[in-house]
Amino acid sequence: MKQYTYFPGCAMGSTGKPIQASIDAVCEVLDIELIELEGWTCCGCPGESINELAATAIATRNLAIAEKFKLDMVTACSCCYRNLLAAHVTYTEDPRIREQVKKALAATNLEYNGTLRVRNLVDVFINDIGLDVIASKVQRKLTGMKVANYYGCHQTRPYGPDDHEFPVWQDQVSEALGAETVFFPLKAQCCGGTQLFSNKEMIYKLLYKILDNVEKHGGECISSTLCPLCFTNLDANQGRINNRNGEKFEMPVLALTQLMGIAFGLSPKEVGLNKNISPALKAVKPYLKSKVQEVVK
Amino acid sequence: METETIKEAKSFVDEVAAEPGGEKINECIQCGVCSGSCPTVEWWQYPPRKIIAMIRAGKRDMVLSSTSAFNCVTCYSCTVRCPRNINPTQLIHAVEAIAEREGYKPKTPTLTLHRGLRDAMMQGRVWELRLAMLFYLKTSLLEGMKMMRVAWDLISRGLMPLLPPKQTKKGGKEVTAILKAVEAMQKSGGAK
Repeated sequence: MKQYTYFPGCAMGSTGKPIQASIDAVCEVLDIELIELEGWTCCGCPGESINELAATAIATRNLAIAEKFKLDMVTACSCCYRNLLAAHVTYTEDPRIREQVKKALAATNLEYNGTLRVRNLVDVFINDIGLDVIASKVQRKLTGMKVANYYGCHQTRPYGPDDHEFPVWQDQVSEALGAETVFFPLKAQCCGGTQLFSNKEMIYKLLYKILDNVEKHGGECISSTLCPLCFTNLDANQGRINNRNGEKFEMPVLALTQLMGIAFGLSPKEVGLNKNISPALKAVKPYLKSKVQEVVK
Repeated sequence: METETIKEAKSFVDEVAAEPGGEKINECIQCGVCSGSCPTVEWWQYPPRKIIAMIRAGKRDMVLSSTSAFNCVTCYSCTVRCPRNINPTQLIHAVEAIAEREGYKPKTPTLTLHRGLRDAMMQGRVWELRLAMLFYLKTSLLEGMKMMRVAWDLISRGLMPLLPPKQTKKGGKEVTAILKAVEAMQKSGGAK
């Protein structure tokens, strides 16, 4: 059993619910215990653009609480991951900001010593659990499934340990599940999730480019990063682009852990697939049937 | 003897350099990799490289009243490629922060969104529905209506809770205390 403190982030309780369901289910199979950080609050990411100091201070509060548990802190949301890690880096490397944040934290009697490791869940899958263990848990091999792995930005940029331009970890996981991975150049291009409200034209174009790129390179479904913002943007907005460009995207979008759950023999409901807006069930249906036959035998 | 223009330029560069993230502005070699890496650059009136050049030339009003910086989607493509490690993403955020603080009014709803996000952060945990409703009330109800379809897709699946997120009282109180302390520091001029 591997234990971690877990920082879910705000969006995991709303748009990220299907992802959270699949994370819980998959971690149980892989014998990972995620202990939710008590009293966690916003990671600070939303305020980062116009008030960096406030964002860093709020993020550091979460780090200070997590540090006490002497475990690595894991998050699945890429935005939380980047902002918490950014706060850690700024705090440990920039004496000016450190003094200011220390002063702000003093209002709550919290102190951060800079010893916490902030990690992404995919990092844990690859480096702590290992691909061989993941492969050994597979009950429904996803043979023939053409998966395009979409990474988004903050899982790998600017800090993530995976490659910044052409990350590979999600591809390695889906290959361990038996799926065939599709390379597409925009795998780590921004989907624009942050400005969906205010800059629609721009965001729809970014989304269009990504979906079009996946299709042109033969992807039959997208296995998305565990970030609820990217996931929702790809999952919920295809209809909006369809109406505008005369294109008809019906690309199934699954979070990586949903795909893992299906391969591990879990039901679509257990991994939250019934809540996806894109036709995600369509992509996994052939494999569900094969499982039933196996059981009958 | 320094001319007025040079003085002006110096003071704006120093101002940006004093913001978190703006520190390395003087190390930029104007190679343009940031502009070339930006996925949204076609929407920027002044691309990131040009903004840096304009800051160094003291074009304060032009930079701060432009919508350009607000097109940054914070993807860090420029940051990982910058050969001088100046972190253009944070630098652009510094420009946004100054513009917001000084009451410049670039014509973009993104400024309203950023303010809304910041306020949502201050609540402790973000409640998306409130964030969205306040944003469309302040900008355009018509645009809000156009989003109804997506909103319904989410609400009907329970993915956009109608009630605020549950959180511990202690968490909320601590966030308020921290933010008050930050505000006090920023108002006294000791911190940006």
